[in-house]
Amino acid sequence: MPLLTLSWLLPLAGAIGLLLVGNADGRRNGAIRWLTLAVSLATLAVTAAVWAGFDPAVAEFQFVERVPWIPAFGIDYSLGVDGISLLLVVLTAFLTPIALLSSWGSIERKVKEFSIFMLALEAAMIGVFVALDLFLFYVFWDAMLVPMYFLIGIWGYDRRIYAAIKFMLYTMAGSVLMLVAILGLAYLHSAATGRYSFDLLALSTLDIAPQTEMWFFLAFTVAFAIKVPLFPFHTWLPDAHVEAPTAGSVILAGVLLKMGTYGLLRFSFPLFPEAAASFAPWLALLAVVGIIYGALVAMVQPDMKKLVAYSSVSHLGFVVLGICAMNAQGVQGAIYLMLAHGVSTGGLFLMVGMLSDRRHTRLIGEYGGLKAVVPRLSAAFLIITLASIGLPMLNGFPGEFLIMLGAFRWDPRFVVAAGLGVILSAVYMLWMVQRVYYGEVRHGENATLPDLHPREWASVLPICAMAVVMGVFPTLFLRPMEASVEALVQQMQATQTLRAMDNPHPPAPRTPTPGNWTAMRPVTRILYSLSRPHSGPSRAERGQKRWLPAKGSGGYQGAVPLGWLIGIGN
Amino acid sequence: MFDSTFDAVVPLLCVILAALAAMGAEAFRARGERMPIGGLGIVGLAGAGVSSVLLWNRNAASFGVILADNFGLFVTLVLVVVGVLTIMFSSQVVRRDALPAGEYYALVLFAIAGMIMMATANDLLVIFLALEILSVAVYVLTGIRRDDQRATEAAFKYFLLGAFSSAFFLYGIAFTYGVAGSTRLDRVGAYLAAQSMSDSPLILMALALLLVGFAFKISAVPFHMWTPDAYEGAPAIVTGFMSTGVKAAAFAAFARVFLSAFEPFSADWAPIVWIIAALTMILGTVVGVAQSNLKRMLAYSSIAHGGYLLVGLVAANEVGKAAILFYLLAYAVTNLAAFGVIALLGSRDRGNDELRDYAGLWHTRPALAALMTVCLLSLGGLPPTVGFIGKWYIFSAAVSAGYYGLAIIGVLTSVVSVFFYLRVVVMMYMAEREVAAAMPPRVTGVSMAALAFAIFVIVYLGVMPTQVLDLASASIATIF
Amino acid sequence: MDGWLGVVIMIVLGVGFAGVMIGLSILLGPRNPTPEKLAPYECGMPAVGDARERHSVKFYLVAMIFLLFDIEIAFLYPWAVALRDLGWAGFMQVVTFFLILSVGYIYVWRKGVLDWGPVARAVRRQVRDKAA
Repeated sequence: MPLLTLSWLLPLAGAIGLLLVGNADGRRNGAIRWLTLAVSLATLAVTAAVWAGFDPAVAEFQFVERVPWIPAFGIDYSLGVDGISLLLVVLTAFLTPIALLSSWGSIERKVKEFSIFMLALEAAMIGVFVALDLFLFYVFWDAMLVPMYFLIGIWGYDRRIYAAIKFMLYTMAGSVLMLVAILGLAYLHSAATGRYSFDLLALSTLDIAPQTEMWFFLAFTVAFAIKVPLFPFHTWLPDAHVEAPTAGSVILAGVLLKMGTYGLLRFSFPLFPEAAASFAPWLALLAVVGIIYGALVAMVQPDMKKLVAYSSVSHLGFVVLGICAMNAQGVQGAIYLMLAHGVSTGGLFLMVGMLSDRRHTRLIGEYGGLKAVVPRLSAAFLIITLASIGLPMLNGFPGEFLIMLGAFRWDPRFVVAAGLGVILSAVYMLWMVQRVYYGEVRHGENATLPDLHPREWASVLPICAMAVVMGVFPTLFLRPMEASVEALVQQMQATQTLRAMDNPHPPAPRTPTPGNWTAMRPVTRILYSLSRPHSGPSRAERGQKRWLPAKGSGGYQGAVPLGWLIGIGN
Repeated sequence: MFDSTFDAVVPLLCVILAALAAMGAEAFRARGERMPIGGLGIVGLAGAGVSSVLLWNRNAASFGVILADNFGLFVTLVLVVVGVLTIMFSSQVVRRDALPAGEYYALVLFAIAGMIMMATANDLLVIFLALEILSVAVYVLTGIRRDDQRATEAAFKYFLLGAFSSAFFLYGIAFTYGVAGSTRLDRVGAYLAAQSMSDSPLILMALALLLVGFAFKISAVPFHMWTPDAYEGAPAIVTGFMSTGVKAAAFAAFARVFLSAFEPFSADWAPIVWIIAALTMILGTVVGVAQSNLKRMLAYSSIAHGGYLLVGLVAANEVGKAAILFYLLAYAVTNLAAFGVIALLGSRDRGNDELRDYAGLWHTRPALAALMTVCLLSLGGLPPTVGFIGKWYIFSAAVSAGYYGLAIIGVLTSVVSVFFYLRVVVMMYMAEREVAAAMPPRVTGVSMAALAFAIFVIVYLGVMPTQVLDLASASIATIF
Repeated sequence: MDGWLGVVIMIVLGVGFAGVMIGLSILLGPRNPTPEKLAPYECGMPAVGDARERHSVKFYLVAMIFLLFDIEIAFLYPWAVALRDLGWAGFMQVVTFFLILSVGYIYVWRKGVLDWGPVARAVRRQVRDKAA
């Protein structure tokens, strides 16, 4: 059974089915809501089945489906998941029903259309994660913009139109350059082999001239960096997140941002390993700037939603840092943090949305002392806040920890800066919690706010549960991705070595030495060793590990001459 | 019935017969009597379509100057679709605006006949003749609402500048004849191929003049000045017709002349067309952003789309040639449907074509708003619509010919163009309807069917473009 | 250059003759202008109104119809001359051409373009309305 096709076609079919339902006067709102929820839960079940059938020992793509689509150009309809994408698909399917539930209280107008756009969005998002053909990927990538645009533009807050257009144009501006690069790749493939191809695997074996590779890498990376969003490209994010309706914010923060980092991991780095190696320090620099900048800006936000939005900039900086480290820890940590951030930031937006549904304001100053008024909501909020900060035993910790570990092995300076970001995140998040939930009730309206009701429980509970589960049993989520990440990292390094050998006069030895990561292979063991010290590796074993790259052998030492002008890279 | 010399003109004759029948019907129509003249036209166009399909792969030629090769037939089929959709949309408009029905349909059909002739012509003089046939008909159609000042002005402007460009074109033909001793494209091509080493100033002169003539017709910058005024002044459906049909025909001839006859001199014209293409894309989109009238906005957008088509021409490889054909189809269906919606929303005394007239259309006519949105997204090149596939095809041609610069200009301008298409969407979906605004008129079944067909094509070809892509690539094999 | 000398002489002579004649009459002729003499018409009715009036569109229609049929004749003559060489194909082509023109002719006829004057048009309108 083509489970992956089913996983994106099911929501799309639901959306098309809803189109046919008449609901001009809004009488069928209830039925439509239940139907939409049922479709999204069914999708969740399908992705769960994919997870259940996924073999964690295999690094290659699984559940592969491949049908020729536009044969003249070698375009296939090809889907597949590996350890990198599997859990992101599940995350998408997990967050959509929650977002839908959250909309039940706040979306009263045009419920049918809202449901259609949500389901279409889910279909496109899942498509992005499972597409193995670059053309197909691009189609999903761009198609996803349309429903999101409408979600923000129609059901958003006051400046929704501005935010929606900005979101769309920013993302498109980046992605069209990627389109040119995709076409360039396909053309190079046809020049080399005589036929066009958009297949990820076929293209990743392509031999590209360094100059061209650099441009292609930049085109891809800018597209993804806008989506992530990496520091100078982040300005669309606060607007879009703040103006979107709660469900939209949950999806935006939970899934859409991950598409950027996923793209970096899936396309930018493996397709252009050499360019990636030379640009990695720069990307990491931007990531670290983003971490600190996002945290600082978040600190001074009076608006809760904006605060959470900027915290996303900060957290996604960690993810990019982990990817740039390009070792097993860094990449696993990045994926883990993507998942964790999806859950916890989604949860934060959800609960901010609940508050704003009750009080119709998102300003922190309007609240205070809610702990006594809505104790259950406060508890849930606190859990997610702590998860977001990265408290051990909650979902934020393993990811951040692994990223730091990976980045430390690569270049400790980034870690120092990033560590500052961790501290700052504790500052701004806890400060917000303090101002909103603790202290005296200063505003009369706040004294009578209702606590969580069953429907809200239904959306908050899975998130809190997931935050705890991901914190306590990280191996559950790390194991499926292990083999794929390992293969990815190895392939990156092997390609770099191979090309360095092919090229008799390499510009500079840009290969980070393998060896460090081979010794570290079972990342999960480290985590075990933290939670259960006795089963960890022996002291002797640990002694063999070289936590710091030896002088002259580690890091992207030959990266770019520019790199060391300002002292990064080595 | 006919001997084989007539084969290649059968599609043409079908349309001309229908046009004559429309004229005859009008002649014997009593005042106020309703006649299915539009239906006559559709029958004729269907005949043209069927005969084109039958002529497929046969490379029929008539009189040595009309060549029904696959390239011409593909464009003919596109034109047939344009014609059928135009007539279907027109049925409502003609009645509403009390346009002279017989004349209107006859002119549309004659214009299509001219277009088909232009697409299948294999001789510069025949191209000129076809150009005049279609131009005269379109001039009149532009000003068919005689009581409308803007329409009259538009028609006059269009006529003057059109005549001006025709003169350029004719002069170019004269130079070509002077150099090559023939106006037949195959002979010109053979002569030029033999001369390709020499840079005769006469050849360059001919090239330049023909280029100007074509650039006028496809409204490429800097010869686009007439377009916004003519497009804004003409009735919306006529604008849709001329922005698609005329452009398709002119491009077919342009491609045929420059990619076959003048191919040996592509090193001379390619850089010029490169610049024209870049300017056209940039100006079309950038100025389009500033428009508040929907027809004018789409006029600029159609200028920009001409620029994308020129990219395919510059690329001039196999992908590029096929991309031109596919893009012509994509653009024609999409743009015509968009203008169709505009036409259907107008009333007799008010065009309702200002941007603010679209405020809250979602609430009053949700289906029309949704269909318009699909058209606009397709024009903007977003998947899963045919516009996306078309743009992708064009840009892949540019990239595979090494024109990365053009491709980048193209994709960036299409992002800018998305901005102004979205303005319409914003109006329809996100702005509140003005209280005083009149309800938009009802849409008849025929027009709705035309819209539904167009949207089906837009989405179907956006998802399953394979057959048509293959058809397009098969169409260019015969002549280039 | 030699062959053209005669032409040049001819032009010079022609222009010179005309110029001399006009010049002489200006120089030698008696002149006695009066307002009557300077009026556009020396005799008959005094001019009324502006000469730049709008002509009835009929005049243009007539001119255009004339042009059409003139061109038809212009095409038919060479065909008639080359009739035997062109054979049936040529005949078919001319018939097609002729049919197209005759539809146009019927159209303008039925539309009343050939009816001069208000009375004929009124009659035609009556006939048409009766037919309906």
